[in-house]
Amino acid sequence: MPFSAQLEEKFAKLLSRYPVRRSALIPMLLYAQDEHGHLSPEIVAEIARRLELSVLDVESTISYYSMLRQKPAGKHHLQICTNISCLLRGGQELFEHAKKKLGIGAGETMPDGLFSLEETECIGACAWAPALLANYDFYHDVTPERFDRLVAELRNGRCVPDRPPMPGSEHEVRVLSKRFNLPDSASIDTYLAHDGYRALGKALKEMTPDAIIEEVKSSNLRGRGGAGFPAGMKWGFVPKQSLKPKYIVCNADESEPGTCKDRLLMQNDPHQLIEGIVIAGVAVGAHQGYIYVRGEYRYLQEILERAIEEAYARGYLGKNILGTGFDFDLAPHTGAGAYECGEESALLESLEGKRGIPRIRPPFPAVVGLYGGPTVLNNVETFCSVPSIILQGGEWYARLGTPRNGGTRLFVLSGHVNRPGVYELPMGFPLRKMIEEVGGGILGGKKFKAVIPGGSSTPVLTSEALDTPMDFDSVAKAGSMLGSGAVIVMHEETCMVRAALRIIRFYAHESCGWCIPCREGTSWLNKTLTRFHSGGGRQEDIRLIHDLAKNMFGRTFCPLGDAAAMPIMSIVEKFRDEFEMHLSGKPCPFEAQPAELSV
Amino acid sequence: MPEPVKITVDDRDLEVVPGTLLIEACRAAGIEVPAFCYYPGLSLQAACRMCLVEIEKAPKLQTACTVQVSPGMVVRTHTPQVAEARRSMLEFLLANHPLDCPVCDKGGECELQDMVFRYGAAESRFVEEKRHVEEQQWSPVVYFDAPRCILCYRCVRVCDEGMGVSALSVVNRGARSEIAPNHGDHLECEECGMCIDICPVGALTSGAYRYQTRPWEMQYVSTVCAHCGDGCKTTLSVRNNKIVRGNNRDHSGINGEFLCIKGRYAYDFIEHSERLRHPLLRKNGRLVEATWDEAIRTVASRWQQVLENRSASNPRQPFGVIGSNHTSNEENYLLQKFARAVLGTNHVDHHRTADFPALVASLRAAPRTAVNGKGTLPLARSQDLQHASAILLIGDNPTDQHPLLAWNIRQACRLNGARLYVIHSRQIPLLRQSFRFLPVAEGREADAVRYLCGEPQTEERLLGTTPGGREVTPEVLRDFRDCLSAEKDVIVVFGAEMTGAAVGLLVQAGSRLQGQTRYIALADYSNSRGASDMGLLPHLLPGYLPVEDAGARARFEQRWNSTISPTPGWPLEQMLAAAREGRLESLYVVGANPLQGQEPAEFSGKTFLVVQDLFLHETAQAADVVLPAASAYEKTGTVTNTCGELQKLRKAGDVIGTRTDLEILLCLARALGVPFGPARPEEVLEEVRQIVPGYGVSLIQVLSGGAEAVIPDEAAAFPPLEANGRIYSAQDNLFTSGTLGRYSRVLGLVPERKTRLLPPPA
Repeated sequence: MPFSAQLEEKFAKLLSRYPVRRSALIPMLLYAQDEHGHLSPEIVAEIARRLELSVLDVESTISYYSMLRQKPAGKHHLQICTNISCLLRGGQELFEHAKKKLGIGAGETMPDGLFSLEETECIGACAWAPALLANYDFYHDVTPERFDRLVAELRNGRCVPDRPPMPGSEHEVRVLSKRFNLPDSASIDTYLAHDGYRALGKALKEMTPDAIIEEVKSSNLRGRGGAGFPAGMKWGFVPKQSLKPKYIVCNADESEPGTCKDRLLMQNDPHQLIEGIVIAGVAVGAHQGYIYVRGEYRYLQEILERAIEEAYARGYLGKNILGTGFDFDLAPHTGAGAYECGEESALLESLEGKRGIPRIRPPFPAVVGLYGGPTVLNNVETFCSVPSIILQGGEWYARLGTPRNGGTRLFVLSGHVNRPGVYELPMGFPLRKMIEEVGGGILGGKKFKAVIPGGSSTPVLTSEALDTPMDFDSVAKAGSMLGSGAVIVMHEETCMVRAALRIIRFYAHESCGWCIPCREGTSWLNKTLTRFHSGGGRQEDIRLIHDLAKNMFGRTFCPLGDAAAMPIMSIVEKFRDEFEMHLSGKPCPFEAQPAELSV
Repeated sequence: MPEPVKITVDDRDLEVVPGTLLIEACRAAGIEVPAFCYYPGLSLQAACRMCLVEIEKAPKLQTACTVQVSPGMVVRTHTPQVAEARRSMLEFLLANHPLDCPVCDKGGECELQDMVFRYGAAESRFVEEKRHVEEQQWSPVVYFDAPRCILCYRCVRVCDEGMGVSALSVVNRGARSEIAPNHGDHLECEECGMCIDICPVGALTSGAYRYQTRPWEMQYVSTVCAHCGDGCKTTLSVRNNKIVRGNNRDHSGINGEFLCIKGRYAYDFIEHSERLRHPLLRKNGRLVEATWDEAIRTVASRWQQVLENRSASNPRQPFGVIGSNHTSNEENYLLQKFARAVLGTNHVDHHRTADFPALVASLRAAPRTAVNGKGTLPLARSQDLQHASAILLIGDNPTDQHPLLAWNIRQACRLNGARLYVIHSRQIPLLRQSFRFLPVAEGREADAVRYLCGEPQTEERLLGTTPGGREVTPEVLRDFRDCLSAEKDVIVVFGAEMTGAAVGLLVQAGSRLQGQTRYIALADYSNSRGASDMGLLPHLLPGYLPVEDAGARARFEQRWNSTISPTPGWPLEQMLAAAREGRLESLYVVGANPLQGQEPAEFSGKTFLVVQDLFLHETAQAADVVLPAASAYEKTGTVTNTCGELQKLRKAGDVIGTRTDLEILLCLARALGVPFGPARPEEVLEEVRQIVPGYGVSLIQVLSGGAEAVIPDEAAAFPPLEANGRIYSAQDNLFTSGTLGRYSRVLGLVPERKTRLLPPPA
């Protein structure tokens, strides 16, 4: 079947980006879907033919990604996030309101085909919750009233999507975000006027690759994606000699619930990211990079495309960069809705056009990664930290934080605080101060109950842990993890059973299904917690819930199993009394009318 | 050999080859490590998490299926932590698994059942609603029950990696993940059933076997598949004298786990409604039922007359005998003995589908250097292909005509990085595995071999654009030859495209290669090779000894106490022509249908035609006497596959009214009043072992379900290189099997039969 000229152009561009045709599959599917509304059998067959794949292979891939659909949706496809951060700010109520307002249920389309509705998992707007996506447009702080206005505006075709702000705080130390408030901050001219690409020049002209790696090592920069692995050490694992090409891959698949910081880095200062990636290329001898951007961040993909074009035009990408003979190509790549693809080896599979199933490790990506070549994979924020480290020195950067935890990081404060937002704070910033002073205290003057310190996969902490300095080691000592730096605050009226349920529901939705304990464990827990929360709990369920999580923990194929198990175990352990309170056979004691939950 | 690695497992010290997976090291030492997804020879998954073990210094349990042994590794497989992990995995698995074991085909031989019995989780704490999906039929032979599936991905991998078909994949994700077939709601594939066989649970079940019986109610008879020339071992499951299933239950024998659709399902011809169960006699122009006594007497008295009227002045030749590609070695041997010693004729032949005589002749004539170390003919066994570093394939379409050898070739390419060189006129499926491909026009295969032999003048005949649009340039030719020349210990596999002098050229080309070049000639049917070896040939005695050679004749004359004519007989086509023209008194056809596709009436009355076979095919319809024969599944004996591997047939069932070809032969001899024998298959084999070159092999392997290679080595006599008669392949595909295949219900049922065509021109 024929595709439009624009689509043909996009396909041609895609095919030129990758050494392996199949890599173009997922973007091709998504772009074709954008144009046609859904992936009809004809489109699937055509794309399969073009990429020399079987239809089954393509369908297997499609069915893995939640953004790809084989049935039509409305002209405006509304996805309302009810994940933990949005839930705490009324996301569930918004979704219930939307159903009533539009007169359709989840997954349904209005008869006139104008709107379709979907309850979605975290879309990366946690600090501006509740939020929704209308096709690729973000709308923040959506109250029921705003929703009604929005629907009217969308009908009339007059609607400007929201761009998240940085509220600012006097406690901030702005390294990564120093250019955020400049006018036209994403343009290369602004970047160049404010130290832009100076670090790359220094790295190329004044430093050896080993010296770059040493500098990053000395900065104590630890991975900002969640695991906190020392970045310099990771780069050091890449073999100097390799028969296969080496790659730099930037993980911009930000999807850990509670996390929406990479969004700001790409939105406000894309060149900082590009520079960091190219420096990594210089350090390990790679000449090709990809930025894997989650599919929902389409506007960021466009910002990155523009920035990359600018960088090519000014000679910071492409052949013979800064006249040094160093070549580096960079391309953005879109995901299509899968949390699992944030796991580095699953991301590589996805980038190769396959289902996002993690790989067996070892070998680690640094040795055998993308297309079998040695690959450096880091989070957006990690790469963004590199130019400053190169310019101002590793030691300077290290000193900004605490021992073994260098620098600053973007913390995302969400949930029940008065001033949710993204704040750049030094590593080791005290948690209590973060909630009380940076976040302006608990919402509505209520009492603090619990905090998830590093995204929804990290164990919950209670008031005893409030004096923990927010760095990797201190949070670990307190019994949790700093993770992606997403701090989700919950006040006294929060039902912790409900929180556990919402968290497990997410992991059940996102489990790739590859290994038994995660596939079966998350779905079992989801069913049991749903029953439990709605008043059907039995005494033995409390132990069962904990057991199931424990039986997943440490035994799954990839870290997603642990990510699902840890918060559940910690909530059962720390809030057993709330589970007991649910045993009366009555509905949840915290919620007047708990919303109907689908399993 | 690298230094072994020393590891400790459960306080036992083990020495293991470096690079071994821990699970293999444990299993080799008899230490049980359970696993669903791990499957030797297939890619690693680490998905089922059943093989978690404790490794000292590792922070958490490790999957033994992905960890390679390292020096000093200390492993524990039976700690409380490991036991708990196994138990909890089973609990997870059983959560959504339907407990319909009492009606599940897999009950009694289910790996999940066994594991739960062994490792616990018998009581479920799961009280939620189970996920349910309706059972699906994917093909006449493949059913899928999604809730039973544990997602070990064995089926997906065996179809993709093993078969190269990729008809299965996973769709959806998380708890909704499911195995799916390649055409929405159904499969279009080779219907090999490997996915069913490899399924550890009852998720994939066989349409042929389902709901028939329980595994413990059957007897298992391992025998050799009755169809193609690869000779796979198939284990027939028999209940109440009825074969209800075919598989290779213990994965032993030359084919290990492999079976194609024919070996797995096409035993069903034996109970076809048209199966002959009574002798038939032509009376008043019509074939009518008769007793065995009557039929045997009729044949004997007519033959007696022919024998008595035999004289040099009679323009009609007395007898012609056409043997079978399917009957046992013992029967083939006795049949040609009967023809030569009793009927006094060399007019013996069969449908020849590979030029074994030419291969033997060329190899016997070739210099004896670097041959096997033993000085025997360099013929490769089927499993040698799996270990080959380079394979040259000329002609044939192994994927369809030799599924086991194709499997072995794929394994070699996938697991050992073997390089496959193909010279072919068609785009055969194995091109996917090929390292170099030289497309040739149909019938030009020998020119390509001439080119390899260094005859540059043949180059021109190979150049140009092929029908498939491939450009053959001098560079393509040179590259093919140069790459092949760099190889060592090549196995050359060739089909019926290469006969006579072309085979001689091929051996010449092979002897130019480095190391030891070995050969496999591809013949169509289960005992094609045995028919050749046993001398069902007009010009050759058993073991490829020329009838014209006095020494060769003497060898058999002595043993048979008879004389053999020194004149080569007529090949099959000549016998048929003579019979049609009334120049032959009697034609005796055993287990063959030479009139396939012809009008039987044209034959009637011209010659006294005796046919013994399973069905009333064209030849039988033209016969004067039809004798109902037992099939290979209803007799004991031996067969020799196309690679020369001798294997044992075991009797799995009886069809009332039939007799084995050997019994029939003995009855006829007795009725003729001629002393003839030996009478029992074991005794015949003993005679064969004593007198037929190559067959004096040890029987230990053969009797215990394995195979022994027979190498027809006899330096004394050289058979002629050029064939006396026609050699051609029937070009059967995966879903046909000569005349026999017409009577298999399953082969007729699968829809792919209609769409399976010859591959397009290269």
